[in-house]
Amino acid sequence: MNLTKLAWRNLWRRKRRTLITALSIAFGVMLAVTATGIGDYSYSNMIDSSAHMGYGHITVAQQGYLQNPALDNKLRSADSVRKQVLGLPEVISGYERIFGQAMFASANKTVGGAFIGINPSQENSKHNVLIRSIVEGALFDNPHSGQVVVGRKLATQLKLKIGNKLVYTTTDRHGEIVSEIARVGAIFETGVKEVDGSLVLLPIDSIRKTLNYQSNEASVVAVVIADQRQAQKVQEKIKQRIDTADREVLTWQETQPDIAGFVALDRSSNYITQFLVGLLIAAGILNTLLMSVLERTREFGIMMAIGLTPRSLFKLVVIESLWMAILGLALGVLITAPWFYYLFHVGIDFSNTIGDDYSAGGVLIDPIMKIRLYRESAIGILLGVFGLSLISGIYPAWRAGRIPPVESLKVM
Amino acid sequence: MPKQAPDEKSAIVELQNVSRIYQQGKIQTYAVRDLDLIIRSGDFATLCGPSGSGKTTVLNMIGGLDLPSKGNVFLEGHDLGNLSRAKLSKLRSERIGFVFQAYNLIPVMTAYENAEFVLKLQGISENECRDRVMEMLQQVGLKGYENRRPNEMSGGQQQRVAIARAIVTRPAIVLADEPTANVDSANAEALLDLMQQLNEEEGITFLFSTHDPRVMKRARRIIRLVDGQLDKDEVQNSTTSKEYG
Repeated sequence: MNLTKLAWRNLWRRKRRTLITALSIAFGVMLAVTATGIGDYSYSNMIDSSAHMGYGHITVAQQGYLQNPALDNKLRSADSVRKQVLGLPEVISGYERIFGQAMFASANKTVGGAFIGINPSQENSKHNVLIRSIVEGALFDNPHSGQVVVGRKLATQLKLKIGNKLVYTTTDRHGEIVSEIARVGAIFETGVKEVDGSLVLLPIDSIRKTLNYQSNEASVVAVVIADQRQAQKVQEKIKQRIDTADREVLTWQETQPDIAGFVALDRSSNYITQFLVGLLIAAGILNTLLMSVLERTREFGIMMAIGLTPRSLFKLVVIESLWMAILGLALGVLITAPWFYYLFHVGIDFSNTIGDDYSAGGVLIDPIMKIRLYRESAIGILLGVFGLSLISGIYPAWRAGRIPPVESLKVM
Repeated sequence: MPKQAPDEKSAIVELQNVSRIYQQGKIQTYAVRDLDLIIRSGDFATLCGPSGSGKTTVLNMIGGLDLPSKGNVFLEGHDLGNLSRAKLSKLRSERIGFVFQAYNLIPVMTAYENAEFVLKLQGISENECRDRVMEMLQQVGLKGYENRRPNEMSGGQQQRVAIARAIVTRPAIVLADEPTANVDSANAEALLDLMQQLNEEEGITFLFSTHDPRVMKRARRIIRLVDGQLDKDEVQNSTTSKEYG
């Protein structure tokens, strides 16, 4: 019989104790998968949502735009950049967009806010939460339309309804004050007060005309990729593909440092919590293995007497701890699978507890808590369970190999 | 001074001026003091003496489980004090068989696996293991008991498995510490029959540590220890005994 088989049988000497320890590992796995999975989902959701609404996962802009996002700082040949970027397999969409500040006035009131000039033919309503959140009317169907889409709160403040006139006033590329009149074609309601109370979507060609932009000029090309974790890799590819002499290519971490900071901080605190829970579980494994070693002192003496080396004895107990990890992991998968399936497909709706404002740091979040688990997170959990089990097994294993056989044999 | 048994066969074990001292605080206690002893090939010998006379300590030192505080223990010419823990383990697995008083077997292994374990430690092939283990189990009268675990066997049967495990590696010597202490009379006699038979027919050397008069009655050589020192070393046959000392 080899040590692996012997270790497996040893695990079942005290079935109840082994099962209780394995269950504690299993619940640890469940906790780790849930906490990490919710993190993976919500971070991605937040990053994707922000990317689709604004600068994309990767932003191509005129050099220095991020430091000075003024209307005179514009990206030339935006349409050609977009076409080049769309050739990359990782890229799922690219949007020419113009960002700016404006005063919005109705017959009743004037309110300050922001606008995004968009091309409806490039936009993806499935991913763009602003378009998806239209509650009245419909998105303008061409880029030179005379219609606009207004946030619900802003519309209420300005007492605007579908079909009403709206005047927006801004400064053009030369710094001159310019105004344009448009009609409200649709109203959106995202649930984020800051967005609903200040943002207006404008047809990109209309705003180009107002700002005296050429037909191929925009503030940025917002690039959206399938997996936000690939942003840096795709950034490099884009840099190789386009002329970067007077352009900059930025990842979402650079354009949205507040979100990147929030994600990093939240992820760190999540890891610390999981590490502490892991330590508690490791203490349980240590206790089980130590008891198991102490009650087998005489047996270890016999084994050493018949020729087992202290190193093999050490190995035997370490293998027992690894078996314990495998058992705990298997149980963990069993109890986590239905829970994971439910959270993956259905999720938990927190709309009632969150209230009206579904945002964190000004970014829209999904009130339905779902779960995703990236491969690296799953590998991390796997390594964590094995690592902690191994560490927990080392002291009992060391102790087992250290007891002199002659002392072990005195124990009856 | 006591004398050694006649030098008719080759020495397997040799103790040269061996002492084993236990330190308890500032007090030194001699478990064995200045002992010279030779065990020869084919011996069926017993270490006897009152409790605390050093029998088990001598057995442990011969088995490399304990080391002398002074002097040297040689097993087939190897000075056990000079061997590393790993080399001692290897020597034990290949050249020494152990039979203890009780709880001899690994409870999660069957009779077959207990006997096989020591062969596996030596890296012997699966087929050879099977042949040798089955032969040994048959020899100790446990054919058909291969798949029984220790808790499914009587004390006597467990000791038989321990004997099978001790001799399956064809060791130079079998060290048996009170092998009959935990079995009834009938089983004790049967175990002694078995060991005597293995000694006489296979030439396996046995050294017992015991209080049991049944063992002493059968031993051909009786080594008596008192206070850790050799008191008597005599060879006996069924009718007479000859004392050297």
